[in-house]
Amino acid sequence: MSEEAKKNFVGALTARPTSDDQKQAPALNVPPKKVIIKSADMIPDMQKEAVDIAVAAFERYNVEKDVAEQIKKEFDKRHGPTWHCIVGRNFAQYSQLAPAQYYKVGCDVDIQGSYVTHETNHFVYFYLDQKAVLLFKSG
Amino acid sequence: MEGAQEELERRSKFLKSLIQKKKTIEQQEQHDHLQHNNVRVRACDMPLPLQNRAFRCARDLLDSMPSKKLDSKRLALTLKKEFDTSYGPAWHCIVGTSFGSYVTHSFGGFVYFSIDKVYVLLFKTAVEPLDHS
Repeated sequence: MSEEAKKNFVGALTARPTSDDQKQAPALNVPPKKVIIKSADMIPDMQKEAVDIAVAAFERYNVEKDVAEQIKKEFDKRHGPTWHCIVGRNFAQYSQLAPAQYYKVGCDVDIQGSYVTHETNHFVYFYLDQKAVLLFKSG
Repeated sequence: MEGAQEELERRSKFLKSLIQKKKTIEQQEQHDHLQHNNVRVRACDMPLPLQNRAFRCARDLLDSMPSKKLDSKRLALTLKKEFDTSYGPAWHCIVGTSFGSYVTHSFGGFVYFSIDKVYVLLFKTAVEPLDHS
């Protein structure tokens, strides 16, 4: 059962990038941002929300800290505190809450890795073109 | 009575002077310490002993890495675990050369510093009991 659910989850992940590309292509003159969900423990609707907010934030801000701020604040508002957001090309992170739950996240850009754990169902790590975005809930 | 009050004032000034001198000495020592270890504090809300613990831990690990390649993940892991063990859960550590962040941290549980060419963000969040629903 859990294995089957896991497979379905992965399937849902695979579908997302195509969906995003198709949606964005007709609407924008500029080429749509490439979205790759690297790892997630989050319901699909919330994932899409995170990506949409991130896309809007990148269009509006140039500084990574401002992008992270926008995403974190929006999620605190919509889904309750406390969210944390890291945006960039090169970073590794380690978090843990007992009992231990680990998710290994690969970062292709600079061959860095991250380990992060979080409250169940509240974690997403994705790429927007060359930028990595890590968003999770803890505390 | 006037003599007693003067004595109290004199002692009060003396104590304040001592405290100020101690603070100055501590700040100077901290500054020297940071310079020596090539550490620069960028932002901070953390007691001095915890700061020094983080700097020493980071410095020791970086010095122990044989290769020149930065192992961000290992540094993040080491710092996070050391602080979880010493100061209680839950700490989060982000290490890298190019990132921005926006987080909410517990009171007194936040430091953002650079050491050599790498940046370290270390912060603490409250832990809520897990519900097994």
